[in-house]
Amino acid sequence: MIYYVCKYTPIELFAGFGEECQVLESMPENFDLSDQVAHGNLCGFGKSVIQAILQDGVKELVLVNCCDCMRRVYDIVKSTGKCEFLYMLDLPHEDRECEARRFAGSIARLKKAYESYSGKTFDRKAFFQAFRKKTESKDPYIGILGVRVSDVLERTIRDSLRMEVQNLTCVSGRNPETTGKELKAALEAEGEDALYLAYARGLLAQMPCFRMNHTGQRNKMYLDPNLRGVIYHTIKFCDYYGFEYAAVKREISVPILKIETDFTSQSAGQLSTRVEAFAETIQGPENPGRGGTPVLNEERRERMKTGNYYVAGIDSGSTSTDVVILNQDREIVSSRIIPTGGGAMVSAEKSLELALEQANIAREDIVCIVTTGYGRAYINSGDDSITEITCHAKGAHYLNPNVRTIIDIGGQDIKAIRVDGEGAVKNFLMNDKCAAGTGRFMEMMARTLGLTLEEISVKGLDWKENIVISSMCTVFAESEVVSLVAQNKSVPDIIHGLDNSVAAKVSALTARLGKEQEYMLTGGVARNQGIIRALEEKLGEKLYICEEAQICGALGAALFALEKCGE
Amino acid sequence: MDIIGKFGEIVGNQSLTNPERARKLLLAGYRLQEKKLELLPDRRLPESGKYAAKIVMQGMIKALANPEKAAMISIFVPGELLRAAGLAPYSVEALSCFLTGTKCEQICLAQTEKEGFPETMCSYHRIFLGASLTDLAPRPKCILYTNLACDGNMMTFPYLQEKYQVPGFYVDVPFEKNREAVLYVADQLREARVFLEEVTGREISEEALKTAVSNSSRAGACYRKQLTLRKTKNPPTTLTNELYALFMCHLISGSEEAVKYTRLLLQDVERTPEGDGLRILWMHMMPFMQEPAQEAFNFASDVHLCGCDFIRDGFREMDPEHPYQAMAEKMVYSIYNGSVDQRIQETIDQARLVDADGVIVFTHWGCKSTAGASTLIKKEMEAAGFPTMILDGDGCNPANNTDGQTSTRLGAFLEMLREERSPRGERQSAGRAEG
Repeated sequence: MIYYVCKYTPIELFAGFGEECQVLESMPENFDLSDQVAHGNLCGFGKSVIQAILQDGVKELVLVNCCDCMRRVYDIVKSTGKCEFLYMLDLPHEDRECEARRFAGSIARLKKAYESYSGKTFDRKAFFQAFRKKTESKDPYIGILGVRVSDVLERTIRDSLRMEVQNLTCVSGRNPETTGKELKAALEAEGEDALYLAYARGLLAQMPCFRMNHTGQRNKMYLDPNLRGVIYHTIKFCDYYGFEYAAVKREISVPILKIETDFTSQSAGQLSTRVEAFAETIQGPENPGRGGTPVLNEERRERMKTGNYYVAGIDSGSTSTDVVILNQDREIVSSRIIPTGGGAMVSAEKSLELALEQANIAREDIVCIVTTGYGRAYINSGDDSITEITCHAKGAHYLNPNVRTIIDIGGQDIKAIRVDGEGAVKNFLMNDKCAAGTGRFMEMMARTLGLTLEEISVKGLDWKENIVISSMCTVFAESEVVSLVAQNKSVPDIIHGLDNSVAAKVSALTARLGKEQEYMLTGGVARNQGIIRALEEKLGEKLYICEEAQICGALGAALFALEKCGE
Repeated sequence: MDIIGKFGEIVGNQSLTNPERARKLLLAGYRLQEKKLELLPDRRLPESGKYAAKIVMQGMIKALANPEKAAMISIFVPGELLRAAGLAPYSVEALSCFLTGTKCEQICLAQTEKEGFPETMCSYHRIFLGASLTDLAPRPKCILYTNLACDGNMMTFPYLQEKYQVPGFYVDVPFEKNREAVLYVADQLREARVFLEEVTGREISEEALKTAVSNSSRAGACYRKQLTLRKTKNPPTTLTNELYALFMCHLISGSEEAVKYTRLLLQDVERTPEGDGLRILWMHMMPFMQEPAQEAFNFASDVHLCGCDFIRDGFREMDPEHPYQAMAEKMVYSIYNGSVDQRIQETIDQARLVDADGVIVFTHWGCKSTAGASTLIKKEMEAAGFPTMILDGDGCNPANNTDGQTSTRLGAFLEMLREERSPRGERQSAGRAEG
C-alpha cells in the first residue's frame, strides 16, 4: 500500500505497478510519538503523518514538497528509518510549460525510484486504465474548503447538515485534467517523455492548491452558483489556508463558517456546536434544533389550554449553568445562575430546581424545555437543544431589538454574532481553542494577582501608567504579570493592561465580523467594568449591557421553547 | 516610557489616520539615527560594525524615501540583479526589524489580526503585511520574490502585488539540488533581468551584472577567510550587528559596500586579541530586541558569537563569468533549500572550524522550516560533539517572547558549557540542553 498526502501525486503510476494507493490523513488521538521527535509548532497534519509512521507502521509513503512543514516532515520521517520507501516529489509553484517539463522529470524519477525499490515491472495498460474522471453534481451543496479534513471531521460535518456536502479540500478535490487515452496517444505519437509531460500538465491543471503561485482560479470554488454555504477548515500552524480564509471571507456571498482544528480526533469532536449553529443559519430559523418539533404530550397540551403555562431555557456553559423560566406571555418569571460543578446534567437539574423554587411553580407547570450551551447534549431533561449562538441572538433581540452585533465573552470562548432585525443569526465568529481574551483568562489573571473576580473587574479603572501586556497566550501572560508584579508595577496598572489586551483580542474578532451598531455585551465578562470600558474605547462604540446579559443564552433558549409550544 | 517607545506609539497611531505623515515621521527618525551613526557611532563596535549599521540604515532610508526607485523583495532574491538594475531593495526581514527597532510593530500586527491573517504566521511577514495594510510601507516600483526559504513569501508577495497593483516577478527554486535545477533557476533569472529592464526602462548591462557578482564573490571570499580565524579571535558584536551582516550578504549583496564591510570585518578579526570566551554558533535569525539575549551576547567578553549559519550561507564565492548560473547556484545550493541534511553538515563544518563550545538553534515563531528541522539539528550536532540548545522565541514580535524563560534557558545553557570547559568537564560527549 502506497500512502500519499497531496493531490498532485501521480497515483495512477502505482496502478501500473499493481499497487493500491491510499491518502494518509487520519486524525490521531494525540501526537505523543510525534512530539518525541518533532517540534511542537509543526502543523497538526504534519505531526499526524509522523505519528502514523511511528504508530501505524506506514511503510511506503510519497510526500510532496507542499510546504515548509512537509519538507521537514520528510526529513524527520527519513531520520526515523521506519519507512521502506519514502519519496519526496518536487512540485513546482507554477503551471507554465517550463514547470510542467520540470514536473514531468520529477514524475519519471519517482517511477524509476519505485521500480528500483520494488523490482516490479511497470504495466502501461493498468496505468492508463487507472484514470478516473470525477462527475460533477449540479445539486445545491455545502462546500468544505480550506485544508484537508479527515474522515472523522467530514462525518461530523455531514451528520450536522441536511444538505449535499462536497469535500473540496486538498486530496479530496483531486481531479487530474487528463485521461489514460490522452496519455496513450501522447506516448504513441511522441514517446515516453511526451507521456510524462502530458501527465504533468494534467496534474498541474487541477484546481490550484493555495501553495501555488497563482491561485486566482480558486475563487471558482467559492463563487459557484450551486454553493449554499462554505465550511472552511484550517489547521493550527498551517498558515496557507488561514491566509486564504481572510480573502475568501471578503469575497464570498454565501454563509461561511471557519473551523480550526489541531488535526486530532478530539479537536474534530469539539466542533459540532459550530457546525450545528451554521446549519441553523443556512437551513433557516424555523425548527432549528436537532430534535425537530417536540411532541408535547397530552398532559402538557392540557396545561397549555388553561392559558397559564411556563417554559424554560437552560444554558449549560463551561463555567456556569443558567436557567430562565418564561410564562406564556414571554415574561421572565425566574432566572438562576449556578456554577457548572458536578457535570452538565447535575447542574442543569439543580439550576432548574432553584429557578422553579424562586418562581414558586412546579416542574409540571413547565411544558417545554430547550437546552443550549456546551453541555446541551448531555442534558436529558430538554425537549430540544439549540446552539448557544442562535440562542444568544434570540435572547439579545428580545432584550434590545436594535442590537446587530452581540459580543459574548464566556468562560472558554469569545463569540461575535451578527443578528438581523428579526433576531436571526446572519454570521458569527468564534475564537479557537484558546483561552486568550476569555473569562477563563481573567480568572487566571485574578488568581495570579490574588484578587477576586469582583475586585479585578473594577480595580483597573484607577490606572496611572499605561502598561502593555503583549502576551495574549494565557500561559505567557501569566508569567508577564508575575514579572510586572516583581517590578513593583501597581496592580491597577497591570489590570488595566490586561483589560486592554482582552479588549484588543475581542475588538479584532468583532472587526473581522464587520462593524454594525448597536453592540451588546453578554456573558459573565459583561460584569467586568474595566473590560467594558476598554472594549468601548477600542470599538469606538457604546456597548448595550443589561442585567440579563449573563442569562442571554438561556433566555433565547426559553424563547425558542415558547415558540415550539405555538407550533 | 522610553523615547523610542513613544516614537513608535506616535508613528503607529499616525499610521491609522495619516499614513503619509507616519511614513515621513518614521523616515525623519531613521535619518536622525543615520546622522547619529555617522557622527556618534557606538564606540564599542569594531569598524565593520559601525560601517554595517550606517550602510544598512542608508539602504532602508533610500528605499523608503524613494519608493518609486525601490523593489520589495524576499530576502533570497539575488541582490546582485537589483544592484545592476539600480533599484534599492528592501525585504520583509529588514523592514520588519526596523519597525520593531522603532517599536512600531504592534500596530502592524494588530492590523493583520483585524484582517484575519493567521497568528501562527511568521512575525516578520505579519509585521510587513501590517505595514502595508496601514500604508506605512510605501508602494514600491515592483516586487520580486521566491519560494526560498519560507512559505510566508508565497502568501505575502502575491497578496501585496494585488494590493499595490505593481509588476511582480517570481523565481521558483526547486527542492532538488542538481544541475537541471540550477539551469532552471538561471533561466528564470535571465527573465528577471528582462522584467527589471522593462520596469525601470533602463538596460542592465552584462558588465554591471558581472561586477555585482564579482563583488559578491570578493565579499564571500573575505567573509569566509575571517571565519577561519574565529576560533580564537572574536571582535565585540551585538545581535543587531549580526543581523546587519545578514543583510550585507543578501539585500546589499553585489555592492562595493558589501565588499568593504567584509574587508573591515577581516581586518577587525585579525586585530582582535585572542580571547577564550565561550564560542557559540548561532543558527537562524537573531532576537535582537530581546533583553536576556542582548545581555548574554552584546559586547560580551566571556561569550563570543563566532558565526551564524544563515550569514555564512549568504557569503559564497561566485563565478562572475557566469553570473546567472552563479546567482542560481547560490539559491539552489542554499542550506535553506531542500532537505535539512546539507544545513546540518555545513553547520557541523562551521562548528569544527571555530571549535564551537555550543550551538543555539533559534526557532523563530512561525518559521516551520527551522522549527521543523530543530530536533534533527540538535540530534546531529550533539552526535558530532556540539552541545546544542533549541531556543524558542520570536525575532521581532516581543509578544511571543518570554524574557524569564529565555533568560533561564540561555543562562543554564551557558553555565552548562562553562562546566564542560572546566577541568572537571571534559568535553568528550555532547551535553544535554532541553530547549
